[in-house]
Amino acid sequence: MKVIRDLTSNYPKNLMLVLAIAVGVFGIGSIHGGYTVINREMAANYLSTEPASATIEFEGKIPDQLLDSVREFPGIDKAERRATIEARMKVDDRWYPILLFVIDDFSRMEVNKVLPISGARSPSPGGMLVERTALGVMRANEGDNIVVQTPHGEAQSLKITGTVHDPGLAPAWQQQAGYAYITLEGLHQLGESQDFDLLRLMVSEDRFSRAHITRKAEQVADLLKRNGITIHEIQVPPPGQHPHQSQMNTVLTIFIIFAFMILALGSILVATSMSTLMVKQVRQIGVMKTVGGSPGQIAGLYVLMLVVICIVALVVSIPLSQLAAAKFVTQIAELLNLEITDGSIPWTVPATQIVSGIGIPLIAAAFPLLRGSRISVRAALDNSGVSVTSKASTWISQLSSHFNDTARLALRNAFRQRSRLALTLGLLAAGGAMFMTALNVSDAWDKNLAQIYVQRLYDQEIKLNDRISPDSLLNKIAQFNGVTTVEGWDYSPTSFAGESKYEITNTYPDMGHGSFTMLALPANTKLLNPIVTEGKWLTDEGTNEIVLNQLARTSGMKIGDEISLTLENKVTKWKVVGITEDIGSSAAAYVSIQSFTRLNGSADQIKMIRIGYTDRSREFVRKMNRDIEALLEESHASVGSTTPVWLLHNAVAAHMKVLVNSLLAMAILMAVVGTFGLTSTISMNVLERTREIGVMRAIGATPRKVRRLIVAEGLIIGILSIVVGFVVSIALSYFMGRFIGHISFRTTLTLTISMSAITIWVLIVMVGSYLATILPARRANRVTTREALAYE
Amino acid sequence: MHRDQSKALIELNHVSKNYPVASGSFQALKDVSLMIDSQQLVAITGKSGSGKSTLLNIIAGIDRPTEGTVTVNGIRVDKLSESELAAWRGRNIGVVFQFFQLLPTLTIVENVMLPMDFCNTYSRKDRRERAFSLLEMVGIQEQADKFPATLSGGQQQRVAIARALANDPSLVVADEPTGNLDSYTAAAIFELFAKLARDGKTVLVVTHEREFSSYFGNTIHLTDGAITAAEPVHS
Repeated sequence: MKVIRDLTSNYPKNLMLVLAIAVGVFGIGSIHGGYTVINREMAANYLSTEPASATIEFEGKIPDQLLDSVREFPGIDKAERRATIEARMKVDDRWYPILLFVIDDFSRMEVNKVLPISGARSPSPGGMLVERTALGVMRANEGDNIVVQTPHGEAQSLKITGTVHDPGLAPAWQQQAGYAYITLEGLHQLGESQDFDLLRLMVSEDRFSRAHITRKAEQVADLLKRNGITIHEIQVPPPGQHPHQSQMNTVLTIFIIFAFMILALGSILVATSMSTLMVKQVRQIGVMKTVGGSPGQIAGLYVLMLVVICIVALVVSIPLSQLAAAKFVTQIAELLNLEITDGSIPWTVPATQIVSGIGIPLIAAAFPLLRGSRISVRAALDNSGVSVTSKASTWISQLSSHFNDTARLALRNAFRQRSRLALTLGLLAAGGAMFMTALNVSDAWDKNLAQIYVQRLYDQEIKLNDRISPDSLLNKIAQFNGVTTVEGWDYSPTSFAGESKYEITNTYPDMGHGSFTMLALPANTKLLNPIVTEGKWLTDEGTNEIVLNQLARTSGMKIGDEISLTLENKVTKWKVVGITEDIGSSAAAYVSIQSFTRLNGSADQIKMIRIGYTDRSREFVRKMNRDIEALLEESHASVGSTTPVWLLHNAVAAHMKVLVNSLLAMAILMAVVGTFGLTSTISMNVLERTREIGVMRAIGATPRKVRRLIVAEGLIIGILSIVVGFVVSIALSYFMGRFIGHISFRTTLTLTISMSAITIWVLIVMVGSYLATILPARRANRVTTREALAYE
Repeated sequence: MHRDQSKALIELNHVSKNYPVASGSFQALKDVSLMIDSQQLVAITGKSGSGKSTLLNIIAGIDRPTEGTVTVNGIRVDKLSESELAAWRGRNIGVVFQFFQLLPTLTIVENVMLPMDFCNTYSRKDRRERAFSLLEMVGIQEQADKFPATLSGGQQQRVAIARALANDPSLVVADEPTGNLDSYTAAAIFELFAKLARDGKTVLVVTHEREFSSYFGNTIHLTDGAITAAEPVHS
């Protein structure tokens, strides 16, 4: 009976306890729930496409009979012929890259499957299926036509006849490229005469062993070779890993850290609430003991009461946390091109919430509960009125004595319940630290991205399909008004030559992730400003000198080491003279064009043109690129792709969105939890001091004064949290910058302090603190002076 | 209790006070009318539940009458809003509680300065000086920079009285101010109240303590919410 009466006698007080527990349980549920769903769905999505264990890049024709032999090869489960063409598409009168995935039989896809979403299941002649995330990049919808040009064909209009989902690809907006799926017949119609040049394999055993996959792919390559097929490369991307797995791991790691932080802070919130409850019940305990209640009976009463409060909190917070988790999952899924087929949160999540939502408060309350139930009758009955024992620290008293009455009282009241203050500060500061860290890291990332322009002094890169003698074309380009420099470069995919007789790379089917490129350029290039971190840059004289970027460097590699790299099926030997730090590149090796052409037998020929303009603004670059592209068309140069540096910049920037958005989402969640914590703390403080507020009003404090006092208390806590959050954010930004820089580029992001982050956070905290305190302040003023004085 | 209506500091006309209770309504005061002159020490006595505290609270503007009018120093207290009441009380009424109710986070002198801060009376630099002089008057100026928790009950009540006098109110009300003190300390507190009345204040005290009746100029006795006796007492 007492439990029911206690629970129903003071709704605001009990509501605060419910809120305190609900906040922690909500945090655990939303993050743990989001984590489990994303983790499960990412694996399910990627693995549901049956990602190829390996891809053999070949030249020649694999007839059906040979394909059947491969399919029956021991240890091979599935095999499919494919081709991937790097083509161009025209969007808003500008050329953008597009990857054309040529599929043998759309009705029998077994490896790297794409999932139909709408429209045709198989592209009709003159049509293509488009990956759902590419529609935005193409600025088109199903049924629209897009102009596409393959390396050896004329520009032709293709109709989008259907959309598909390819979970194996990063979202197209991140790559700033189109993704389309066509048949071999469709490819031929586009002017390409080539046949399939990729054989995608799925091994039947040890699917996650890179060594096993490589061995099996080599055996299949041997088989093909025996049948007159030339093998260019064997691609073995990290088995079972989505191309953005590393970013995802980072995001999930951050989730887990946050979940623990919220759990820890939520537990403190609960413990403090329980402690407050016991303090407030001391007199009643004295009365119950006087009339014969044993400590066990009394403790039992409060345990029961606490369990009821916990259950109410769970009933409120579990559904809300599930909604929040679903929102969270949706956002992350969009960033990773995942299709959530099953958004259900496993039972373990609510189970964890129930166990922690009841268990932690009970554990946290055990000490105050035992202490309260064992208090002597005399001590319990003596407890009354305004607390006479709590007082602020001496230094706070001294500091606050310099302020006016409102600030003085507010400051001392803020420091009155130090454990509660620490909790609220912890919650708010953690939110602030994460918020500022997210923006600091984002700014640091932008700074690093700006290095793309510092390192790359060219504005346009043109990849040609065939090597050409460049002189006349380069001269014509150099004549353009606005062109400062034009250089002929060359490039080729490469790999470290190992024990295998084949070139083994880590390249993913999107041809970008995991790739390693050898770039051949004039040693005294004016279009590259390399950041050499070790050794030196290439010299004219160096015939076998090579400079590797940080992504190409293998562990333990030193300046002066001799390395062997494959170059168009040949093994070439190089001496490492320098290491550079590149931003926005995949693994790259720089060699002088003379050395490259000598080894490659392509003297005086180039396959890439890089051009620098007088004005680097996007508008100018766009205009110039149009003129240059027109010249290339006139010159009948077979252009593979044209990539302005700003497009590369955008593509790299888009990759970061996953991380920055996740950080910001978590930061906002922490800010919300922090504001809950502040509301809870201030409400508890106000409730505890109801009689004190009555006294103040009795001696002349107007409701406005009381409101100002309570709001000032909240603002003081808010300001303190900003200071703590700022300090923590600096340390966190440093480590996060190292972490993110390393997984992205294997470099450290420069520590950057974002002024806008501080400004926005100050505004959020000030407004949040005001809103968090205005309600308790209003409630305090609604109580009449007499009621306040009579409050126990 | 009053000789000349024009001199009355406090005037209550047909004041009733009802509180809602589970069984309906409880009438704490029943048609109370009275006048209290200034510069007196008046005791309000009666059994527990007789309406003493309710009467005191209504006079001090801490509570409102259900019916009737309350005039203090020419002001219709029952007509003031909660905000106006707080400001009026701060400047015109000194309140002393049974459990002292000093704010634990403020030092003694800061507690005494608080009503001056709230009501913005006296200049900022004069407030501390006045607070010290009031503490000197109640005899605990040495404790000025200590926190309430370090003081005895009697000392805390002296601070509460100094706080009640901070804005130099004409009326001081005290609800069982000695209820939590030993008789020796209680006598000292009543002596202090008597001195205040001699110095021109009107002091209204709710008390059970008959042994200190010699201090009171007048006594209002309440029974079940109605005045049953109002008699002059020898000082």
